[in-house]
Amino acid sequence: MKRIPLQGKYIQGILLFLLLVFAFAFPRIMADKPYWLYVALQSFFWAMMAASWALLAGYAGQFSFAHVAFMGIAAYTSGIAGERLGWSPVSGIILGTVMAGFVGFLVGYLCLRLRSTYLALFTIAFSEIVRLIINAEHQLTGGPMGLYMEPLLETTSYVPTYYIMLAALIVTLLSMYAIANSRFGLFFRAIREDEEAAAAMGVHVVRYKIAAFVITAMIAGTAGALDHHIIGFIAPNELMIPRMSLIIAMAVIGGTESLISASIGAILIHFLMEWLQAIPVSEAMMAKLQANAATVQQFGLTLGDGVIQTNAWRMAFFGLMLMLTLRFWRNGLIQPLLEKIGRQGIAEETVAKRKLPQEENENTEVQP
Amino acid sequence: MVNITSQYLLNLLLNGLLIGLIYGLMALGLTLIFSVLGIVSFAHGEFYMIGGYVVYYLLQAFADLEPMLAILAAGAVTFIIGVIFEILFLQPMGKGDIERPGEYAILLTFGLAFFLQHIMIGIVGPFPTKVSRFYDFIEMDAGWLRMNKATVWFFDMPFSSSRLIATGIAVFLTALMIWFMSKTWTGRGLQAVSQDRQAASVVGINPLRMNTLAFGLGTMLAGMSGAALVTVFAWVPWIGMAASGKAFVIIVLGGMGSMPGALLGGVVLGIVESLGAGLYPDPSKALAYKDAFGLLVFALVLLIKPTGFFGRKL
Repeated sequence: MKRIPLQGKYIQGILLFLLLVFAFAFPRIMADKPYWLYVALQSFFWAMMAASWALLAGYAGQFSFAHVAFMGIAAYTSGIAGERLGWSPVSGIILGTVMAGFVGFLVGYLCLRLRSTYLALFTIAFSEIVRLIINAEHQLTGGPMGLYMEPLLETTSYVPTYYIMLAALIVTLLSMYAIANSRFGLFFRAIREDEEAAAAMGVHVVRYKIAAFVITAMIAGTAGALDHHIIGFIAPNELMIPRMSLIIAMAVIGGTESLISASIGAILIHFLMEWLQAIPVSEAMMAKLQANAATVQQFGLTLGDGVIQTNAWRMAFFGLMLMLTLRFWRNGLIQPLLEKIGRQGIAEETVAKRKLPQEENENTEVQP
Repeated sequence: MVNITSQYLLNLLLNGLLIGLIYGLMALGLTLIFSVLGIVSFAHGEFYMIGGYVVYYLLQAFADLEPMLAILAAGAVTFIIGVIFEILFLQPMGKGDIERPGEYAILLTFGLAFFLQHIMIGIVGPFPTKVSRFYDFIEMDAGWLRMNKATVWFFDMPFSSSRLIATGIAVFLTALMIWFMSKTWTGRGLQAVSQDRQAASVVGINPLRMNTLAFGLGTMLAGMSGAALVTVFAWVPWIGMAASGKAFVIIVLGGMGSMPGALLGGVVLGIVESLGAGLYPDPSKALAYKDAFGLLVFALVLLIKPTGFFGRKL
């Protein structure tokens, strides 16, 4: 009896392994381009945000918009603890994470009764209140001028910080993957599909809803505190709603029902965004553009040194992508691709399985 | 610390009332969309912002254009954008082609807000623009009522004339909208769909077409209230976010889907903001916290009584 192996699963595994190898080798490949290394380590921050939002929204069905607020609370907690109490960045990050988890608990607890639209409205109001308070209490937070945070490492090289962010991304992804594929994950999905039915089947809805908020808030908090210690600065503008929209765009375009797709989507979009910021153009094209500089200016584009800067238009592009993805590719753009690879060979296996009993019972050869 | 007199309080109250009536018009659109389509449009403020910019550009292009025509044009532009968006993206929801319509609508309108906002930043740039007031008032002095071009003193309480004009426009449009909803067949059709979709389709109303109309009218009201207010505030492409926030507060306060609730909620919010900013003990933080007062009321209403003043049962 010959079984056809599931090629797809292997290919998927090999691809993930190659991706990991590439991620580890990236600083060597990009040794002479520290800017792109910095872009890469920032993209890991977005990946953590998008993946944890995907866990909350895609798995548990809680469409919360308070994610950047959790991120900001953790970063500010860590920054203020460092400035006022002299805490080291590492202990500050831990405190910030705990704080984000605590606020996540409060928000989760308050939101127990609220569904879809009401939850979205409440969480938007919550994150705006957080931003306004941070903005107003300038003695403590620095107000609109922002807050300087102690750098995590005393080096100017991005290589060590790159590996720290990569490690953080891998650890958070693995732990979220473990949660999503445990009983926890099943309960999350049950709540998403039908809260009453889940409760009737014995899921402790209250507990798991709050747990979803706490876990994802803590991940957003870790990512935020860590990343802002690397940047060395945070300002209330980073807590504005468009940042949340960007995270949502990343998660949706990647695929909200798969953590790895959401994070790959975030990384790709962040790179694309950096590239779109200054698109390199050929000299002939540049001359043409320079001749019409006034028109180019009028459309909010800026001509740089051999590049064309798209400014706000790249954001508009991602907004449009978000809408189109929602409308036509419900599962995102990355997730179906991964699934397609993962399902390769399943058809052959099914055909082979169907043929097996025939061979045994009738003992005749199957026509090819 | 400001010196609080009863006249100062009355002035704050009346100023809040003036601005609240315009908020009410904007929220009327959002509540209409919610009552017919059953969704909250998170891009509502962006239509308000676009309405303002249409007036700005028209008055720039044609200096002696009648401002009222510019406001009508702003209404037309936002109506058309709203209808196109509804047909392209929300129609499939009404037809039942979308798996989880509630979440789809939230994320989609969120994406639309992001899209429109950045398109406008691309077009107009990140700098604030200001439109001068539509009409100059005559100069007069009748003791209790004094006027010059920009300000009206009513019993020695100052009111800006551009605010008064904006409120006048808003009150007129609100009255027109109430007439339309209660006296015309189309308006009654909208009400019927909002009460019971199936029953409405049994008596020959096409609910899908009503969805499109309601969304277009809702965005039009947002656009026209933006057009009316463009002379009052400095206009920036992200002004829509604050406007959306206000519209959410109002419709939740008044009860989602209730038109009288939206008007009352608007007035309440206008007064709360005006009093909050005018009476907060520390003036350096008063402005920063002005929006927070409304949001705090909002969060409390959501938690304690999500149906608001006149809301239907959830």
